[in-house]
Amino acid sequence: MNKRNDHPDDLLPWYVNGTLSRGERQDVETHLQSCERCRQKISWLQTLRVEVKADAVGSPGEFGLNRLMREVNSQKSAQRLRQPWWRPALAVAAAIIVVQFAVLINVMNRPASITPLGGPAEEGVVLQVKFAPAATEAEIRLLLQRTQATFISGPGALGVYRLRLDGISATQTQAIQRIIVELTAQRNVVTYAARE
Amino acid sequence: MREVESIGPNTAADLLKHMAAGSEAALREFYQTFNARVYGFALKRLRDPADAADVLNEVMLEAWRSASRFEGRSQVSTWLLGIAHHKIIDILRRRKNQPQDEFDPDLLEDDSPSAYEVIVGKQDAAQLRLCLEGLSDAHRLIVHLAFFEDLAYEEIAKIADCPVGTVKTRMFHARKLLKRCLTQVNPRVVPSD
Repeated sequence: MNKRNDHPDDLLPWYVNGTLSRGERQDVETHLQSCERCRQKISWLQTLRVEVKADAVGSPGEFGLNRLMREVNSQKSAQRLRQPWWRPALAVAAAIIVVQFAVLINVMNRPASITPLGGPAEEGVVLQVKFAPAATEAEIRLLLQRTQATFISGPGALGVYRLRLDGISATQTQAIQRIIVELTAQRNVVTYAARE
Repeated sequence: MREVESIGPNTAADLLKHMAAGSEAALREFYQTFNARVYGFALKRLRDPADAADVLNEVMLEAWRSASRFEGRSQVSTWLLGIAHHKIIDILRRRKNQPQDEFDPDLLEDDSPSAYEVIVGKQDAAQLRLCLEGLSDAHRLIVHLAFFEDLAYEEIAKIADCPVGTVKTRMFHARKLLKRCLTQVNPRVVPSD
């Protein structure tokens, strides 16, 4: 407590308005018990407080509120106007550029695949077949339908065609062998058949 | 932003949160809660209703714009009156007739208890208010916050943006100035020291 001339003078206004800490209040009250001079000051300050409170003023009330809301709304409008029309379009364009760049990077980083000049490797079981010179288109078609084979390419330089056996996996070796036997059994149609 | 039409019972801090989210309903309630205190604070210091209304409007706009920055370190009223204080100071500076926060050493000797006794008993309210009007802004600020707002000296220091010691010193000087003023108004009731 700052006691000017041993009086807690600087605390008295806040003793009057009731905001002193508990310790400060107790100090002041202890002092007041034996100090007529400070009790008079307290009385004076209480009067001052009453008069200050009694001197309350009105306020702009609804007029002030209307003014405030008008300005809030005009600021919002001004804020919207300050935003250029092209800003959203610019954002979209930037997003497109980012996506394109990401795609490009992805393509560049993808490991290069090696494709043979003859085209990509075919899936499934591939046979090399040589047809008899006198074989007709109808005979060949019938044979292919029966063995579920389709042309891949050919004829090559030696007259060899490449056929893929549909519906058979590479592990079904016995089935593959049966088809080869069936093909070569048609000697008037197929002169050569072997797995590639 | 979707307007919240009804925000229910709220503390001042809740209202600020709603305002930060863009609620105009919260701003209206906030204004209704604090407009009289802010306006009264400004009017007492500026003595001009138009200037005080301007301060009220600017303070509320600033509260609207910076509601999200309120950190809850002080009471909302302290934060708001602090904003008002700075705006009032700006106006007073523009007026360029701002009375200084004078320190008159002679006043410190004028502390007769008998004078208080006489003044308390015989001065009427009109004289006292006249003397309050005669105080400088710095003194009126402290008296208003201490006796109208009933704020602790620590809160007053935050609003006035000055040390606690300065608050106490200004209050001390304000009391002396008031007493001198009252003595001059009615010298017959003031006994000699």
